Formats: sequence, C-alpha cells, structure tokens
Amino acid sequence: MAILSARNPILSAKNLCVESLGAKESFPVLTDLNFSLEPGKILGLVGESGAGKSMIGRTISQYLPKGFAVTKGTLAFDGEDLVSMLPERRRNLLGRDIAFIPQEPLSGLNPVLTVGQQIKEHLLRIGLAAGENWRERALKEFEAVHLPHGAALLEKYPHQLSGGMCQRILIAMAFSSRPRLLIADEPTTALDVTIQARIVKLIAEMQKRDGTAVIFITHDLRLASQISDEIMVLYAGRPAERGPAKQLFSAPAHPYTRCLQLANPNITGPRRGLFILPERMPGLRVLKELKGCRFASRCPNAIEACTQTEPPLADIGPNHIAACIRTEKTPDIVPPPLAPGREIASSKIHLNGEKLTKAYTTAWSPFAKRSSFKAVNSVDFTLGEGEFVGIVGESGSGKSSLARLVVGLDTPTDGRITLAGRDITANGHADRAYRREYIQMVFQDPQSALNPRRRIGSIVTQANEASGLHNSTRERMDRAAELLKEIGLPPDASMRFPSQLSGGQKQRVNIARALCTLPRILVADEIVSGLDVSVQAQLLDLLLKLRDEHGFSMLFISHDLSVVRYLCDRVMVMYRGEVVESGRTETVFANPQHAYTRSLLAAVPPDDVNAEWSPVLAEAGYQVE
Amino acid sequence: MRMFATIAKLLVKRVLTAIPILLLVSALLFCILRILPVDPAAMSLPPNATVQEVEAMRTEMGLNLPLYQQYGIWLNKLFHGDIGRSIHFRQDVTSLIGSTLPATIELALIAMVVATVFGLAGGLFLFYVRGTRAEAVMDFLSILLLSLPEFLWSLFLLLIFGVFFEVLPFTGRLSPGFERPVVTGFLLLDSLITGKISTFLNALQHMILPCLALGIALSPSLMRVLRSSLLDVYQDDYIQQARLRGLSEKRILIRHGLKNAILPTLSLMGVQFGFLFGGTLLVEIIYSYPGMGNLMVDAIRNADLPIIQGAGLTYCIAVLVISIVVDSLYMILNPKLRAR
Repeated sequence: MAILSARNPILSAKNLCVESLGAKESFPVLTDLNFSLEPGKILGLVGESGAGKSMIGRTISQYLPKGFAVTKGTLAFDGEDLVSMLPERRRNLLGRDIAFIPQEPLSGLNPVLTVGQQIKEHLLRIGLAAGENWRERALKEFEAVHLPHGAALLEKYPHQLSGGMCQRILIAMAFSSRPRLLIADEPTTALDVTIQARIVKLIAEMQKRDGTAVIFITHDLRLASQISDEIMVLYAGRPAERGPAKQLFSAPAHPYTRCLQLANPNITGPRRGLFILPERMPGLRVLKELKGCRFASRCPNAIEACTQTEPPLADIGPNHIAACIRTEKTPDIVPPPLAPGREIASSKIHLNGEKLTKAYTTAWSPFAKRSSFKAVNSVDFTLGEGEFVGIVGESGSGKSSLARLVVGLDTPTDGRITLAGRDITANGHADRAYRREYIQMVFQDPQSALNPRRRIGSIVTQANEASGLHNSTRERMDRAAELLKEIGLPPDASMRFPSQLSGGQKQRVNIARALCTLPRILVADEIVSGLDVSVQAQLLDLLLKLRDEHGFSMLFISHDLSVVRYLCDRVMVMYRGEVVESGRTETVFANPQHAYTRSLLAAVPPDDVNAEWSPVLAEAGYQVE
Repeated sequence: MRMFATIAKLLVKRVLTAIPILLLVSALLFCILRILPVDPAAMSLPPNATVQEVEAMRTEMGLNLPLYQQYGIWLNKLFHGDIGRSIHFRQDVTSLIGSTLPATIELALIAMVVATVFGLAGGLFLFYVRGTRAEAVMDFLSILLLSLPEFLWSLFLLLIFGVFFEVLPFTGRLSPGFERPVVTGFLLLDSLITGKISTFLNALQHMILPCLALGIALSPSLMRVLRSSLLDVYQDDYIQQARLRGLSEKRILIRHGLKNAILPTLSLMGVQFGFLFGGTLLVEIIYSYPGMGNLMVDAIRNADLPIIQGAGLTYCIAVLVISIVVDSLYMILNPKLRAR
C-alpha cells in the first residue's frame, strides 16, 4: 500500500464524462466532472434527483446501469484509473479500500442470512489478522459503532432489527476494513430525523477515527453543510458550484444553490416564504441540444447571455468555483413574502376526537395467548375550519394509526370521534358514507397510490364513481380538467397514465383525487417525504393556495419538522401512541416543553451553519430478548 | 436451537389441524359412496343370490342402520386399519394399498428429484444467459417443454429408449427372474437392505423412463419460476451491496441470490408434488407400473367402493403430509416466518 502524503488526493476526477449510449444516439449523464478528494476529508454531493449524484458513486464502482459508460476522462483512486482498471483489480478494491453505505438499510442486508453470517462473510473476505477470530472482531466492530448486545445481534435476522440498527451494522461492516474511501449515498433518507442525526454523527466519528475520505450524497443542503468539508452542487450532470461547505452554505454563489436553500423551510427564526423553483431539471434529450447555461430556464437571474454559451466554472474565492456569469446577483434572490397569516376562526370545529384509542390484538389462535398493544392511546384533538394541524413523531409513534381512525379505515377501540356534530365512532355504513363526503385522504407514496392501468382523468374523478355525481364521461372529463388546472397540470395530462408523470406530478394528481368531491377535511400522510426540496416547496404552496380557494382543513402527518412549521397552524407531537405536546406551531417549536419535542428539534440540522448541531445521541428503545 | 423448537411447534399445530380435515374428508367419501347407485351388499354376493340373502347381508353389513351410525361403524373400523375388502380383488384394501403405495411413493419421489435437478439447473442457466441471444433460444425451448404433458414424454421415451434402441426396460418394476425382497415395500430400499445389488440395479433401470417422463414434464415451470424470482431478487439492494463489498458474482448468485429466489420455487414444488401424487396415473398405465394409479383405475372400472374410499383417504393424507413437509422446509429457509 502506497504511503500517502496529505497532498495526494485519494480520488480525483479529470474531465469525467458518463453517457447513456442508445442504439442511435447517446446522451450526456455526467459532463466534464473535475474534483479531487483528499484523505480524511468529506465531500458533500448535493442536488435534485436526476442531477447525477448517485451516478458518481456508481462510476466509482463501475456498476453502471445498463447502457451507461464512461466516454471521456479519468477517475483515479490513489493514482490508479478506476475506469480502465482490470475488473478483478477493481473488485479487489471494493469492500476493502472503497466501501459503500446504502440508502435503504433494511434492504441492504440479505433477509435470509443472520447478521453474523453476513459480517463473517465480509470479514473473511477482507482478511483477519493471524489468530484472530471473526466473532471477536465483529463484536469489536459493533462496539465501535455503539451497537449494544453485539453477541445477541449476530444471531438476528435483518427483519428483527430497526432501520437505524441495520444502518449501524452496515456502517460497522463498511469501516471494518479501514477503507480509504467511503461513499454514503443518502444514508439517512429512509430514517427518522433523530436516527438520521445519530447516523450522520456516527459516520463523521468513524471517518475521523480512520482518516477515511468520504463522499456524502444527499439532497439536503443543510445536512451536507453540517457534515462536509467541501460541497459540490450538481445540476443536470454538471457541477454548478463547489466550495468549502460553510462558505458555500452561508454565501452561495450559484443561483441554483441559493434557490435550493430558499426552497427548504427554516426551523429557527421567523417563518419565511419558500422560493419556488419552477418546472423541472432539463431531461437528457433537452440537455443534448442545449447551448447555454443548464439552469437558465429556471433561473430568476437569467439574462439573454445565459442562453448563448455554457458558463465555465470560474474562481470566485479561495477554493470556491461556480458556473455562473452573474454570481454577484445571486444574493439578490430572496424568498417571496410569507402569505399573510390567516386568523383561524376556530369557532367552528369540524372534527373532534376524545380519548381516542386503538388497541391491536394478535390474531386468535388456540395455541397462543392473545396480547394487545395500544397504537393510539387516549388522544384528544380538534380540527377547526380551515385549520392545518401537523402531527409529528418518529415511526411507530402512532401518527398513521391516528390518521386511519380519522378517515375510517379503522374503528377506534375506545373514545369518541365527532364530525361536524355527528358521532361517527361506531363507523357503521351510514357513518362511512357521511364521513366520505367530509374527509378524504392523500396517501404517502403516489407510485403505489395511483392505479397504473387507469388514466389520470379517471383517477382524479374516481370519487364520483361512489357518490353518483357527474356520471357521464363528458361531465367527468370536465371535472378532471378543472382539477388538473387547479393543481397546475396541463389539461392533456388527463389522457396520460401515472407512469408518464414525474414523482412531483404524481403527488399533485394524488392531491387532486382527494379534492374531487370538495371534502372539508384532508388527511395527508407524509405526502412530501421522499420528494426533492424544489418539488416539496411547490406542493406546500399548492396546498396553501388550495386552502385559500376552498377553505378545507387538513391533518398533516410528517416527520419533517421544518415543513410542519411552515405549513401548519397547530402541531401535535406524538410519542408511543400518546400526544406529549400540542399547541400553536410557532410557540411549540420556539419553546418546547416536553423532552421528546426538544430531542426531535435538536435532531434537525440548524439553519445557521455555524451553530452547533447537538442531537441526542443515545439509541433508545432497543431490547434484546 | 430455537429454529427446531419453532418447527416442532409448527408440526404439532399442523398435525392437530390435520385431524378435523381428515374427519371431514372421510365423512365426504363415506357419504358420496353411499349416494352412488351401487348396492354394496348385492355386490359382495354372487350374482345368483336371492333377495333374502341380500337382505341378510344388508343387516350383517349394517346397511339398514341410520347413516351416522353406519359412518361411526366405518370410522371405528378405519381406526383399526380395516377399510374393508375389495370386491373385485377379494383381498383386504389395506394390503392392496400397502403393496402399491410404496411403488407410487418411490416413483413420485424420484421424479421430484429429477424435476428439481432439471428445474434448478435450467433456471440457473436461463438466468445466467439473461439478456443474450441464448436466452431467446432457451426461452423458446422452455415453453416448448412446458407444453408437452407427461404422457407424451412417457411415449417418446418409451419409443426411443425402450423400443428403438432397446437400452432400457419399460414394463413393471422388475424383469422376470429377479427375486423380490419384501421388507418395507420400497423395492429399491429393500433390495439394498437385503444386499441384492443386481435386483437393485434392475429395479433402478425400470425406474429411469417413468421418472424421467414425470420429472421432465414438471421441470419447465420450476425453471421459469426460479428464473423470474432470481431476476426479482437481483433488483434488491442487498445484491448491489454484496457487489459493492467486492464479492464474486458466483458467490452472490449462490449465497445471496439463490437462497432468496428458492423460496417461491419451493412453494411451487410443494404444489407440484401434491399433484404428482395423483398424476402418476397415466405414466403408471403406460409403463404397466404396479402402483396406486393402476389400482385406482381398476377400482373405478369395477366400481370397487372400498378401494376408492381407501385410495381417497390415502391421497388426502399424502397431500397433508407433503404440505407439512414443505411448510417446515419453508420455515427453515425463510427466517421471516419464524418467531419474531
């Protein structure tokens, strides 16, 4: 192994181009990528989905999607070009010198092998010291990532563990070979906010221990600025800006960076409006024909010159470069003013829950005693006319179970729900029909919530099938056109299938479907998680706009506290089935009373890059039988 | 170990739930055969019996008792291993089934092994050549195989290896002149136990053609299920993650891919084995193989009710046993089904 001086980059890309090669023509996926990463440094890769962030990780491993290939340039690991290297040599580096941490920890481990079998396989491959026992070594590695009860853990299967624990195991495996380069691709996106903080801190701790260079891929600029030394913002396969993390975050030079930052709602300080990035990133086909700046079509500062030639990456400070000809104008981009605060006339209460409880009991069996647990435990809440109430908490806190009780997918085991003065607790046939007119639900994942075999026009007017309104095709198509206009989709979208829309567009359709029969209450379960911040901002403002027009109220379930702070008038914090704190959003977040609320808030990366981020790091709630 | 405790628990549970199923099936068999317009009393007597003789027989057989009492008597006899006497063969049904059942089990088991070997190998090969031109060819071949039923295979193989090349025997279980040892009833096993190697080899030769015919007919669906579940599994993150840890493709396929993809294949095998048990019929007839299939055909042709009842019950027990075995295997291979 070569001895490294601090100057020698561990990874360096020179004019790296990746293209998608079609039968007739090829499209650029990554264009002229230049960067170098020194040992012990963390490079944050930020951008919307489709910007090419993950493609960089895949180029390093050379496991590119079918039809993709490096067409120009080099990508050197410790001086050796990974692209032209023999596959056997590259495979030898993988897992030993170059390690990866995946996005989905639960699916990153093989479900039919125990944790022990999997870490043993890895440890034997990377090689143990003479006389070293794999089991002892595994326990040592588990200890390093603060996993308690290591010996019991070895016997467990992945499905018996939480996402946070699986991610710790994968981190332990990744660092067990003391790799020189680690690629973490959105390692915390699938995890709760408190777990996210712990995992990010853990990666930083391990990285420091081994002096590992890290590429940290994320769509969250705020998170990247907390953990990285340097940040590279990618836009449509090309770097828009690269610079020291703190400098880039506090004074972004490229309009795109600034827009991304302003599209994300803040968690501290006065609430501000969100910058809405219009449209979408140009697709591969458009990019190929494009002459000027890739971002020009969405840029608030674009002028004629921007569409003529592609701006070069120019120095704008020490180690700070940006591909924009008008960087001096970037600070002028300001968020739009916050929509005037609506005074909620809570005189009229739509929905009222008293001591609402849902206990789940195990299925009857002659061979086992039945046991039960309370997913929702004695929850009181109200929802007034036009009011947006946020429900926050970690997974398993009972947020979604409460939503299911409200929309009538489940019947409470105890307590009372009244809807506009009528007791609907029993959830009988008439109650359900009554409830359907008032309440509609927007589901989390538009991918699986929209029937792939139906056209958009028929999906959004689906509610009419049950209510018996607008039953002629003509009337349904008219209603569909109205709805699509309201959610900002072109009228011809009604003839398309869900697969022909982007993720953000699908979620709009999902909202339109709920709005079809003009319900008075929407229940939205995590409807913006998993979406890009730009799309998230578009949807949040769409919801506010629709409320102004229709005056509906909403129960908004989210694990993202800053989104709830932006959108909701009131918030309820749930923990293990109970509401531990509730009140006006700004009051609760500015002055949290319950320890759990405080730990949730502390887990969010701060808006101010110089502020200290000190999440609670103890992993709670894990028991070994 | 915990796994065995869980499986033992499953076994107990399944055996207990099997009891009501068996009772129900026996009641069903009993009723249906009583409804049939066949008089068991008349059938057990010579054709020239008088009406009085028939009446006496009816009383003796308990046929003038209420139906539930008759069922009780029948059930009681059943518990003592007495399913009745075959009218046609003039022999106890128990001994008839006892002599033919092992032959069919032997046939079905070996055919299943053949199907598994062909199915797994073919599935792996289909997966291995994915995306190449060979895949299209293999795909075509596997569909061709899928559309050929087992009796056609039986005839092909019989004609080619038995009649045309004359390399393999194709009637019965043994050539004439070989002594038949009887210990367990399973011929291959018995000949090994008693050390009669020549008998063993001869019996094995007789097994080749029927087992191949059944095995080949069953294997294409296994191939295709294994291939498609491998394709599914390869979309999963842990496969990509295994690659990124630098594991070899071979190791990934066997240890990570196959171990997960085998699960849907296994459930199909369970279903197939159940069908196979009742589906050896045509093959047994073509190869004059003295198994349950041939016995059933004779029984139905002669309206031999006791045999039909006995065979029906045997079939039901066999299916229950197979499903318990498959479920236990499933538990061993899929940790998600074991205690959480």
